[in-house]
Amino acid sequence: MAYQAEISRKNPGCFLFLVDQSESMEDPFGGGEAGRRKAEELATILNKLIHNLSIRCAKSDSIYDYFHVGVLGYSEESCKPALGGELSGRSLVPISELANKPLRIEERTKKSDDGAGGVMDQTVKFPVWFDPYSKGGTPMCAALKEATKITQAWCQEHPNGFPPIVINITDGEATDGDLVAEARKLAAVSGEDGSVLLFNIHLSSTAGPSIELPGNGSKLPDQHAKQLFEASSTLTPFMVARATELGMPAEENSRGFIFNAQPLHVIHFLDIGTRPANVHLR
Amino acid sequence: MSTTAVGTSCGEARHAANECDIKVFSCPKLGNSLEEYEDAWAHRHTGTPVGIRVAVADGATESSFAKLWAVLLAESYVRSELAGAEFFARLKPARRLWRRRLAGRPLPWFASEKAEQGAFAAFLGVEIDAHKNRWTALAVGDCCLMHVDDVGKRMRAVETFPLQRSSQFTMSPYLIGSRSDGESLQDRIQVSKGSLRDGDMLLLATDAMAAWLLKRHEEGRPLWKWLYRKLGTPESFAAMVAYGRKNGLRNDDFTLVRVIHHDSRVEAKES
Repeated sequence: MAYQAEISRKNPGCFLFLVDQSESMEDPFGGGEAGRRKAEELATILNKLIHNLSIRCAKSDSIYDYFHVGVLGYSEESCKPALGGELSGRSLVPISELANKPLRIEERTKKSDDGAGGVMDQTVKFPVWFDPYSKGGTPMCAALKEATKITQAWCQEHPNGFPPIVINITDGEATDGDLVAEARKLAAVSGEDGSVLLFNIHLSSTAGPSIELPGNGSKLPDQHAKQLFEASSTLTPFMVARATELGMPAEENSRGFIFNAQPLHVIHFLDIGTRPANVHLR
Repeated sequence: MSTTAVGTSCGEARHAANECDIKVFSCPKLGNSLEEYEDAWAHRHTGTPVGIRVAVADGATESSFAKLWAVLLAESYVRSELAGAEFFARLKPARRLWRRRLAGRPLPWFASEKAEQGAFAAFLGVEIDAHKNRWTALAVGDCCLMHVDDVGKRMRAVETFPLQRSSQFTMSPYLIGSRSDGESLQDRIQVSKGSLRDGDMLLLATDAMAAWLLKRHEEGRPLWKWLYRKLGTPESFAAMVAYGRKNGLRNDDFTLVRVIHHDSRVEAKES
């Protein structure tokens, strides 16, 4: 049976993010507060995902390499690794290295429980790996091709591992070819435990309710959303169960597609051991 | 006598109290080092009531400093005089100790933030009243007690607590946190009681081992007789784990405490 491989430090999982850095990402985001740009929303999502993945893998005073993570940015005519600083130019990085090498760590204030029924301001570390950037066209097919190469190499190196999960975050318009055809080639890359899973996060300028993990595309608002839905993989039974447990509206034939919402629970779709039900996910 | 062990590979500890014969077996997850074993166990002879207290705790993989918390829970229980739900209302000293062990420790941002969430563990404690031949069990989470009677004859699982079926185990149980999070544990605490006869066997197991033993039982291939008669050494436990790993036993830390009850009145009659 596919998608059963245990994720461990010896046999890590792989998350590869494809991020749209085209000019249209400068446009307003339809799913959030007024005046917010899609590029800003994308940077927030990516920083939160890497942050949460780091916390998930943190173990006492160290961090376990349960996952390797890559970020490819696509804009103008090309697609290239988008991590900066010391990680510049690298396609996949163990989570421990990523956690230890953000671009910068900002300090922010958040409200927290003071233990006596009130609230207090608490200073928290806020690591940043990725800043908003947008320019030129949307070579999404080039990004999917590059992802195909990277995941092929990963599957050769980890033939018995859990298949890579590719998460494409975009406003939906490929300018360099047939998105669905390239997505199918990517999702055909496979190892012993199954083929690559492609999830799409659609950040649209179209206002309206968010849609998470739909089983069909009938309620999607436009052609771009429908195309991205078409290009998205069906969730595994474990993922459907975990998504349901986390309060997401998943069903048997749900696809890894999210419209105008932050996909922060997606990193919990892979199991690395007992997760306390009473830890509230952010 | 009290013993708490962590980091023993397929270890065994035997303490024959007057009323019970106790053996403990433990083993870290395959691929992990002994130091990464995050279960804990403890047992202690008690005066009031005369008998014994046994506890197992299972630190959650997805929490930090979970082994320390599991040890503190198991030790707190066997040293406590409380056998019911009120035990959980007296965890302040254990929580304080957990925080103290971390205080002042320089941690990178991710470790510090994870520690802020606290550590989490499943817990099962059993008090055996030797004079009344009764047990009282207390649980939060998915560590399981299996009470097997008629040892040597029909060997029947009289009760499994707090879970009854292998399908009830999940990867996200509600666990006890090392930081009081304001949420009431009250709805999650489970208590059960039972009677013991001479020769009865109580098995306390952490989740993966318990789920596998229950699965075997459901399939009509129980291991009760083998556990009673053949499980005796670390080597025999290692052999069982090796067999299990090829036959549906999930890779995890394993802890199994076997208690065989001896009714002192029966022994007195026989002598």
